[in-house]
Amino acid sequence: MPVVKVLTEGIGEANLRDMHVYRQRGGYKQFERALTAMKPADVLDAADKSGLRGRGGAGFPTGKKWSFLPSNDRPRYLVCNCDEAEPGTFKDHMLLEEAPHLVLEGILLGTYGIGSHHAYMYIRGEFKRGYEIFMQTVEQARQAGFIGKNLFGTGYDIEVTVHRGAGAYICGEETALLNSLEGKRGEPRLKPPFPAVAGLYGMPTVVNNVETLAYLVPILEKGPEWFAAAGTERSKGYKVISISGHVKKPGNYEVPLGIPVRELIEIAGGLRDGRTLMAIQPGGGSSACIFEEHLDLPYDYESLAKAGTMLGSGAMVVMDDTTDFVKAAFNLVRFFAHESCGQCTPCREGGHWLETVLHRFVDGRALHSDIDMLRKVGHQITGINLCPLGDSIEPFLLSVLNRFPEQFEARVVKEAALPA
Amino acid sequence: MTTRAEDFPALRERLRAQCDAIVAQYEQPRSALLPLIHLFQQHEGYASPEAIRAVAERLNLTPAVVESTVSFYTLFFRRPVGKYVLQVCRGLACTINGAEDIMAYFREKLGIGHLQTTPDGIFSYEEVECLAACDRATCMQVNLDFVYDLTPQMIDELIAAMRAGTYAVAPMPQTEIPGPTWTVRQDSQVSMGEKSAGAQDQLNPNNAGGLDKDGVIMLDRIILQEGRFKGRTKERLANVEPAIVNILENGASH
Repeated sequence: MPVVKVLTEGIGEANLRDMHVYRQRGGYKQFERALTAMKPADVLDAADKSGLRGRGGAGFPTGKKWSFLPSNDRPRYLVCNCDEAEPGTFKDHMLLEEAPHLVLEGILLGTYGIGSHHAYMYIRGEFKRGYEIFMQTVEQARQAGFIGKNLFGTGYDIEVTVHRGAGAYICGEETALLNSLEGKRGEPRLKPPFPAVAGLYGMPTVVNNVETLAYLVPILEKGPEWFAAAGTERSKGYKVISISGHVKKPGNYEVPLGIPVRELIEIAGGLRDGRTLMAIQPGGGSSACIFEEHLDLPYDYESLAKAGTMLGSGAMVVMDDTTDFVKAAFNLVRFFAHESCGQCTPCREGGHWLETVLHRFVDGRALHSDIDMLRKVGHQITGINLCPLGDSIEPFLLSVLNRFPEQFEARVVKEAALPA
Repeated sequence: MTTRAEDFPALRERLRAQCDAIVAQYEQPRSALLPLIHLFQQHEGYASPEAIRAVAERLNLTPAVVESTVSFYTLFFRRPVGKYVLQVCRGLACTINGAEDIMAYFREKLGIGHLQTTPDGIFSYEEVECLAACDRATCMQVNLDFVYDLTPQMIDELIAAMRAGTYAVAPMPQTEIPGPTWTVRQDSQVSMGEKSAGAQDQLNPNNAGGLDKDGVIMLDRIILQEGRFKGRTKERLANVEPAIVNILENGASH
């Protein structure tokens, strides 16, 4: 089995929330080494060479993202995005609660790597326990001298502020997150300017996912070449995959990118006995489904994109033949309609109307023309919104509508039953 | 017994140092908006109008701006809630693992639906989006504390424990008796299925000229407006709602 233990090393075995345990296992050594023996540019270089790509969903190369920061004297910020709310994703939740020191060390490395002195940690409002754990983590690190002024006598200062959200999926979008962090409604901003140029408080800002930042620690420890050696040509390294749905052992599994989808399902214990696979949503609620014929597809950014879907946040929901795909489509469309911030009309109205039409299918009172209506409305929402939320409404619906049209047609009212 | 509103100045005074410490963490004070509301909600059980005004004053914003921001986030309660806020996950992974049955069981046991509070003020029930615990579906949060792998038996036990006051998670502070719901959208009269008294006889209560329970709101606006707006609105009204123009012309009291 190709399951590896990099970020997940020690989780479930040792109490990694304890500073002493984490340090005994080599914790904060990389941060100390970076600060005392490396320049920020060296950290950036390592991130770049490793081929690490954003693990939050967009998959943007991390080193490249950092390099977009303009070289000026304005204050710059690192923001760690722990607003994990993509349906099916639960990896950051685990890292936050089970390996908070690793996450913090990653944040500190990232902050140093971009030459910033202030990092913000944005934690999803629902993760109250995670927030409390992380507050303790920051306090322990402050006492140990890893946060504050003149760290390790180098004269370098880093401050960390932990910020708790209050329940809004859209705040996982980086510019919405920045607005929320500024105390505003979590509405995405028009881009450009990108956060690298004008982010938090209008200053150059990098927003990175929890998992992305956490990977900086092993990358510095074992070298970028070690990380780049795993995975595929363009999807390098490892990734924590959240596998849930109709599998025997749902959970987070860390694997090298590019392993076949079939193997991932086997890692999660395989399907329940006597069931057949119907569909897999490979990259969170925003992604289109893949099916039986895609089982040998390598699980990496490019292969999934070629199959018309995406790797996203690495959340795989496996669905067997007990699944009602009309209800599943309604469920996800309702999610996006509920979470739309309401700024862009296509997303706000389109999501709502798709939900209304799908509700007719769920109730078994849809008209035949409603099937075309689903396609039409879905198509009209996509590609014309400020942020990717609007574009996320259609893919799952369309993929299951194309694959299982009979399930939708079965919910159409028979013509004889209609009043003349 | 003093009321919550009467106690508020003392609470505000007690939390002053803590508020200052929160504001000091950020490079701009407005960033403290969410944490400050969290703080007051933690003490009062919901984001009260007094708290919103106090935060606005502290951050040098208008109460409307704070209210607008607070209303964006689902974890800020705009009205008092029950002692235990039960938030059951309705995400995809939970749904395909039986969340519908779990939710139906909750509704039956509690006798309330989505976004409602029981009359005894103990339970508030909400069906929420993915809680990021899909490996342990079906899941829920009780006052933001996770409960995993739900079964009907567990539900029976936890409801009984909450009724008896022996449940492990601390109850929400309850400074006011909660109403039937805590969201503003749900408790508006129209969505509760009641039209406002004045609009009952109108064909199109949402058109200009729609009447409100407390008075003729749109009509007031028309009367108060001078100039072209008045004339044009009246013209349009004459076409769609002649009855209202009649009231307007004849000065019928409202």
